[in-house]
Parts: sequence; C-alpha cells; structure tokens
Amino acid sequence: MTAPNMFSRSLLAAVLFAAGLPIAFCQQDSLTSSPQKSVLKSHAVEYLYPEQVSVPAGKPSPVTLHFRIQQNLHINSHTPRADFLIPTSFSIPETSGVKLADATYPAGADFALPSDPDQKLSVYTGDFTIQARIVSTPGNHLVEAKLRYQACDQTQCLPPKTITVPIDVIGK
Amino acid sequence: MKRNTIVIGITILILATFAWAGWANWMYRKQAAERALASASTAELIPAAPGDVPPGGASLTGKPAPNFMLEDLSGNKVSLSSYKGKPLLINFWATWCGPCKIETPWLVDLQNEYGPKGFQIIGISTEGDDLKPGDTEGWAHDKAAIAKFIKQEHMQYPVLINGDSLANAYGGLDAMPTSVYVNRDGKVVAMQLGISSKEDMEAHIRKAMGEGQ
Repeated sequence: MTAPNMFSRSLLAAVLFAAGLPIAFCQQDSLTSSPQKSVLKSHAVEYLYPEQVSVPAGKPSPVTLHFRIQQNLHINSHTPRADFLIPTSFSIPETSGVKLADATYPAGADFALPSDPDQKLSVYTGDFTIQARIVSTPGNHLVEAKLRYQACDQTQCLPPKTITVPIDVIGK
Repeated sequence: MKRNTIVIGITILILATFAWAGWANWMYRKQAAERALASASTAELIPAAPGDVPPGGASLTGKPAPNFMLEDLSGNKVSLSSYKGKPLLINFWATWCGPCKIETPWLVDLQNEYGPKGFQIIGISTEGDDLKPGDTEGWAHDKAAIAKFIKQEHMQYPVLINGDSLANAYGGLDAMPTSVYVNRDGKVVAMQLGISSKEDMEAHIRKAMGEGQ
C-alpha cells in the first residue's frame, strides 16, 4: 500500500469515526432522558441530601436535611394554621440505632388560595431544610427516616404521603 | 513528507470539528433532557376549569355513573342506585383538603337552592389512606375527623365514607376535590377536578337537571 493511499484510508476512517460520535452521544442521551410521566404517582417532595453523616456517638449532633418540593405545589408547614390540615413532620424509627433528639422546622410562608384570598395558609414551597439533632450509637446505621407531608396546588390536593429519608449515619 | 503533514493536519482538523460538533450536540441534548426532566417532575395538577376531568375520567362523561354501595357514618349502607331518577352531584372530598373546605359552603347553599327541585348532592369522604377493613383504630380516627368536618361545615346532605374503594371506577381520584355531575338518566354529564367556583358548579348542576345546556 502506498503512503498516499494509506493516508486516504486513514482519513476516511477518521471521518467515519468522527461522524459517528454525535450519533453515539444522541443514542445514549435518548436512553437516559426519557421523561417519566404519571407524575401524580410520584412524590411531591424529594429528599436531596446528606446521604451520609458522621457524628460523635452518644452525643446530640446537628444534621441539616435538605428537601425540594415540586414546582407549582406547596405543602403545609410544621405548624399549619388550621387543625384539619396535616403538618409536615420528620421522624426516625426507634429501631434504627439512631434517635431523633429534636427537629427544628422552618417557619411557613403565607399563602392563600385564589378561591379564598382572605384565608392565609402556612406552607413550604421550593427548597426547605429541617435542622435535626440526632443521637447515634457507635457503628454504621442505614437510617430510614420518614417525612410526612400533604401537598396541594392552587385548586386541589394530593393525599398525605410519608416518604423515606435514607441517611447513612456513622457513629464514632 | 510535506503532503503527509498536510493530510495529517486536515485529518486532525476534521476530527476536531466533528468532536466539537458531537460535544456541542451532546451538551444541547443534555440541557434539553434536563429541561424535560424538570418539566416532567412538575406535578401535573391541572388548574381547574369548567369541564376539567381527572385522568381517565373523560371516558365517564356520557356514560352511566358507576354504581356503588358505601356506608355512612352510622354504618347504613347507601347505594347510588337508590337515587335513581334524581340529578346528582357526587362530590369526592377529604378532611385534610383545603379547597374542599372552601367549596363545602357552596355545596350546602346549592343543595338548599336546588334540593327542592329534586337535585341531590352526595358527599363521599376519600381520605387517601386505603385503610383495611380490620383497621379499627384507623377507621375510628377517620370517622371522628369526618364527623367533625360535617358538623363544622353544617353539611346537610348525605356523606358516605371509603371513597378510596371507588378510585378505579371513578378515574383514579388522585386529587381532591373531584365532582361528578349525573343527570336523571344516571349518566355523567360533567366531571370537575379541583375547585373552580360556585358559579361553575351551579352551571353543571343546571346541566345535570336538564336546565341550561
């Protein structure tokens, strides 16, 4: 094979390879980006982080838990203004090796439904945090904490939900 | 040698161009995918408007309202068929639902106004907790909350419990309130997901009664 021929073939191979790159990217992308519908079945609140915390064993230790509420929805704050509304509350199962000493919730924001503008609700929207203090026994604990909430938009409400908040707690 | 250098240079240039194009395309699609995912993660609680229907509920319009047999708070069994020949509003609601609390006084007024003409509202508490029949503590809790709500809101129309058991028949009942308007022939003439206005409800009631179409 002559040198020019070799280079021509190399050039052709390179062009074909390069031309395939965008296609490969697109194919991978289309597999990973298919949006999940049936959103009413999904959770209105998502736990963001932390996934893992390291705390001194036996001592109350602060952990800041971050959550995100889906767009266009609100959930009742920990202290809603009417007793029929379900408050947002965080808990840790007693059997997990980690105890919840206490939890401090953010203040709710004032919100009124368009159909009743005079009635102010106390709600969370967007991102919010709960400041928890936990007491861990020594060792690693995969804690399945719980967040209970009830979400609505401006005209309707979803049933109350309890989601799992997984936290890997390392007590040292 | 000079020719080889030119070919290699052109090759590198073409490779770089394609690589850049691929990268740019990938970034663009990635951002589009993120936008799509963000959009998909937005709860599709569709703003209520006249004629809104819950997902799956559209198929009920024009069809016979699915029959049911539920209990009231006293344990009496009540069936839809016992209201045969009456225009109805079947209102699914829940004790924890703020919009339900807002529209209940409208329902009380509308029952007072149109009841003498044969119209009937049936409230069905749908707490969304899917209690098992043997969960006595759960039912006792729910019944206490329902009774309190009925008393506070002066609900004079029949209220039944365990609307969750009708979810499949009535389009999912994913969100509260959900209102189903039924004419004298027992056919669904309109469904409303979420709260709209007293005027909208009245228009649907008149349609169920065969008055303003």
